[in-house]
Amino acid sequence: MDIDIRHIAKLSRLKISEDELSGYEKEMASIIAMVESMPEINDELTVDSENVMELRSDDNVGSGYSRDEMLSNAPKTVAGCVVVPKTVD
Amino acid sequence: MELYEYSASELSGMLSKREISSVELTKSVLKRADDTEPKIDAYLRIDPEMSLKMAENADKLIASGEASSRLAGIPVGIKDNISTRGIPTTCASKMLENYVPVFNATVVDKLVSAGCVISGKLNMDEFAMGSSTETSYFKTTKNPFDLSCVPGGSSGGSAAAVSSGSAVVALGSDTGGSIRQPASLCGIVGLKPTYGSVSRYGLVAFASSLDQIGPFGRTVRDVALLQDEIQGRDPMDATSAQRSYTSLFDSIDGNIKGLKIGIPKEYFGKGIKPEVAKSVTDSVERLKSLGAEVMPISLPSTDYALSAYYIIACAEASSNLARFDGVKYGYRAKDCDGLIDMYEKTRSEGFGREVKRRIMLGTFVLSSGYFDAYYKKAKLLQKRIQREFADAFGSVDVIITPTSPSEAFKIGDRISDPLSMYAADICTVTVNIAGLPAVSVPCGYSSEGLPYGMQIIGRKFDEKTVLNTALAHENAFGGFRRPEL
Repeated sequence: MDIDIRHIAKLSRLKISEDELSGYEKEMASIIAMVESMPEINDELTVDSENVMELRSDDNVGSGYSRDEMLSNAPKTVAGCVVVPKTVD
Repeated sequence: MELYEYSASELSGMLSKREISSVELTKSVLKRADDTEPKIDAYLRIDPEMSLKMAENADKLIASGEASSRLAGIPVGIKDNISTRGIPTTCASKMLENYVPVFNATVVDKLVSAGCVISGKLNMDEFAMGSSTETSYFKTTKNPFDLSCVPGGSSGGSAAAVSSGSAVVALGSDTGGSIRQPASLCGIVGLKPTYGSVSRYGLVAFASSLDQIGPFGRTVRDVALLQDEIQGRDPMDATSAQRSYTSLFDSIDGNIKGLKIGIPKEYFGKGIKPEVAKSVTDSVERLKSLGAEVMPISLPSTDYALSAYYIIACAEASSNLARFDGVKYGYRAKDCDGLIDMYEKTRSEGFGREVKRRIMLGTFVLSSGYFDAYYKKAKLLQKRIQREFADAFGSVDVIITPTSPSEAFKIGDRISDPLSMYAADICTVTVNIAGLPAVSVPCGYSSEGLPYGMQIIGRKFDEKTVLNTALAHENAFGGFRRPEL
């Protein structure tokens, strides 16, 4: 199967250089060849009843961390806000 | 005998009787790390000042008589994908090189309040993707039994530190074998607990439906001690199971009379080194002589498990790792031309090759037109594998297989061939797919002295039977064999 690495990379928000392209193509092809050995199964896919996640009763409660703490790892902040490149002209 | 050489259960007694102090013990472990790290490279970060401070606090806690945990004062190593407040947590990735969590993972909170000492943060494959620690952005950890070999992965730093004595016990995480396989390759004990029994809050997610934090130790009892400390319901993890837990340490005695052991033929054939298979079969014979009943079983879908695993794990990873975009935390590329360019440059420069490949594989299997052929099929296969295990556990109490198809391989041997690297997980991935508990225990050694591991798989939430079988094996086979360093 031909896999369009450039298209997949775009969907994944990755840039793949010319030099890397053929390596990824080869590896992905061999992995896809392996997974294609899976048998046909005609069952219905159902929701896992055993592992249903429960909603947390406290899901509206704040985290208890200050704004400064939460932003302490952000690459760029100004006046308590995260700064990103301009998106709209 | 130096203090770092004792097991956690022995040290626990010595500490509570105040024969030794946590500061003395921590100094011994740190000294050992000084000696071994130049050769082993197990740690990404050691902070002696912080560890000794924790040890002083532990000594006060013990002296006050208020220490409620058997692990009070014991140094524990933490895999670097488990969040530690104020201590960098990098996932061995350039992407998180300077990331310092503002919160502790629930397991870390539990260890801190138990009075444990954090001995440092341990190396791993980048974002836990790999079976050798070679995908770490920072360094490759070496196997203490042979420095030219890998320690396994992804929790290779955890396994190598415990094996070489630079941690008494350690935490790792296991998505497809990442605790059990390195435990096997480094000759120690590693438990992948039942999905839902240990909180994942603060574990940097790889594949959320498969990830599970678990303990490493040099003895089965040490693993039980650490599991006792970390297991339990956590409201901060919506997949954490609502149930009560009893002490594993207190409930295992190594008596396995009447235990029914299933041996699945699919795990002893193609791809498994005959010497490994023989050491496991010999160990099963020893268990039989202790009163266990052994019967052949079949798990027919095993051959497809690796495929199903890589599809499910990569699909979840592609979604989980979407958060690393250079906005709120982690690496951000320089000189970007707009927002999309920043995302793409940041991710391309911040992630290593293996991580990028898995993100792309996951994106591919979830992309329009391919969902039914790959992801849906893998999920159906997962159901089938779960059913086959459930059927088998109708007639047996534990299932025994090799942990890894071979002993430790040479550094560099497999890193450029993803399929041969993925094959290292062939015996372990089914357990994650089925959400079961399983332990790896050393069960033999190659002619070069490299350890083999045996995997004991149990019913959901039956860690007790799994560890009890492991203890019976340990008693019969002999305990941890220290590597010569």
